[in-house]
Amino acid sequence: MNAIRSIWRLTPVRGVTIPNYAIRSLSANTTALPHAVEPVVPPVELDKLYKRVELEMRGIDPAVLLSYSWFCVAAASHLGIEVTKSWALRKAEKERHTLLKCVHIYKKHKVQYEIRTYFRFIHMQRLTGSTCDTYLEYIERNLPEGCALKVTKIECQKLPEHLVPPKKESEE
Amino acid sequence: MSILIKRSKSGCFNSACNVKLWRLNSTSADSALKKGEEEEEFRVLDILKKRDKMQRRVVKRTDVQPDRIDRMATNQNWGNVWPGPKTFHPSSVPLPIRQGYVPKGQAPPGKKANAELMKIPNFLHLTPPVIKSQCEALKQFCTEWPNLLNSEESIDKHYPLEIISSDYCHASPSIRNPLARVVILRVKLADLKLDKHSTDKFKRLVGDRYDPKTDLVTITADRCPTKVQNLDYVNYLLTACYHESWNFEDWEKEKTEDDMEYYDWDNNASKRSLIDWYLRIKNESKIMNDEEYKAFDISQIENGAQYKAAVSIYMNEGENPQTVQEYSIAVRKLFGLPQKKLF
Repeated sequence: MNAIRSIWRLTPVRGVTIPNYAIRSLSANTTALPHAVEPVVPPVELDKLYKRVELEMRGIDPAVLLSYSWFCVAAASHLGIEVTKSWALRKAEKERHTLLKCVHIYKKHKVQYEIRTYFRFIHMQRLTGSTCDTYLEYIERNLPEGCALKVTKIECQKLPEHLVPPKKESEE
Repeated sequence: MSILIKRSKSGCFNSACNVKLWRLNSTSADSALKKGEEEEEFRVLDILKKRDKMQRRVVKRTDVQPDRIDRMATNQNWGNVWPGPKTFHPSSVPLPIRQGYVPKGQAPPGKKANAELMKIPNFLHLTPPVIKSQCEALKQFCTEWPNLLNSEESIDKHYPLEIISSDYCHASPSIRNPLARVVILRVKLADLKLDKHSTDKFKRLVGDRYDPKTDLVTITADRCPTKVQNLDYVNYLLTACYHESWNFEDWEKEKTEDDMEYYDWDNNASKRSLIDWYLRIKNESKIMNDEEYKAFDISQIENGAQYKAAVSIYMNEGENPQTVQEYSIAVRKLFGLPQKKLF
């Protein structure tokens, strides 16, 4: 696969054809023909590689989150994505507010509210860019009401080619 | 007007009502009726109108269609019945579902007109066969992971740079989430081509972003408003630090022993004290200056090399039982003392 990837690496098409054309026009010795319109080949975009993709789901109802994560795992298995881990926190995160019960005075009488947020996590590994985009689009379109999704993608890339040690100047 | 109060039943003990049967002065108009009633029954005054209620029947609405459930086949394609996310509709779902909390002993309420069932998001549009068929249709847009990159080591070897970013999907007044602009770049220092001086300079330039335990440099960028800009910035930072670490400035020559990041035994007081002690033993004590101390060859001193190694490891790696023990062994050998007995 890497060999195929290297073949697909971008080589500037124009740079290859122009010299040949220039040589041909010199040898042909004909009247200057208008340059044929060369088809502009768009640069080949290589597929990204994602080492890990982590989904974090937050919701107000743990049953809905469970159903949704079951759906995510099922879809991943159909599309051939490795799911390494799928788990939930045992307890919800509770945000509590203690407010005065009455509009005016009565400090001793208060009322407490809490907002419960349930969490669920799914970790996947080794996805290509197109698979990841397709899968995430499918997942996000079917996100139920009352749920939020956070997707963390860890993409692996090659080191940039310009990060090379400076060449020593030739001694004069 | 004649008023009659119905005698309460002997079974119910109603303290409020008085068991009285009495007639007020009647008018002459209904005196004829009264005569007829006396023979049959008294007219009963129905305050609670129980008889009317019993007789009234619930009028069935004729415009309501029969339930769709009744016309569903068991082998139908459910994906066609429920194609997308929809509020629960009890007449279209052929399942005997009950939902709701009730005290012990009672059955939960049924599915018809059940607000609890309608409130909760249902996944009836994502049944397993539907998921399967939809994934089959999506497979044409997916690509396979390269077979040769099947281990972590091979991935790290060929693709050492990591770019971490987050995407958010949730209900909100705006589709933008400001947290989505954060980009983190992670790379192992060993994968970058650096020599001794440039690694040290790179670590100093990068500062806290370098973790010596994992040998990872983590550069985070969130100062630009978009992800693409932050990505460019992060790449720029890495390039700038890399090339700057290869530059040797003139003022770097003024690096003193205090600035050194590791302990070099030759430049420190430990060597001097060792040499002084050695010369005092031989009764040749003389005052030397720095260059002579550095130039002194410790191979003349017995176990000097071991002492040098022990002190260097102690100062560089930190104090732990192993380094302290090695130091004690080296010092005892140097002074010719017996080794510590281990119980």
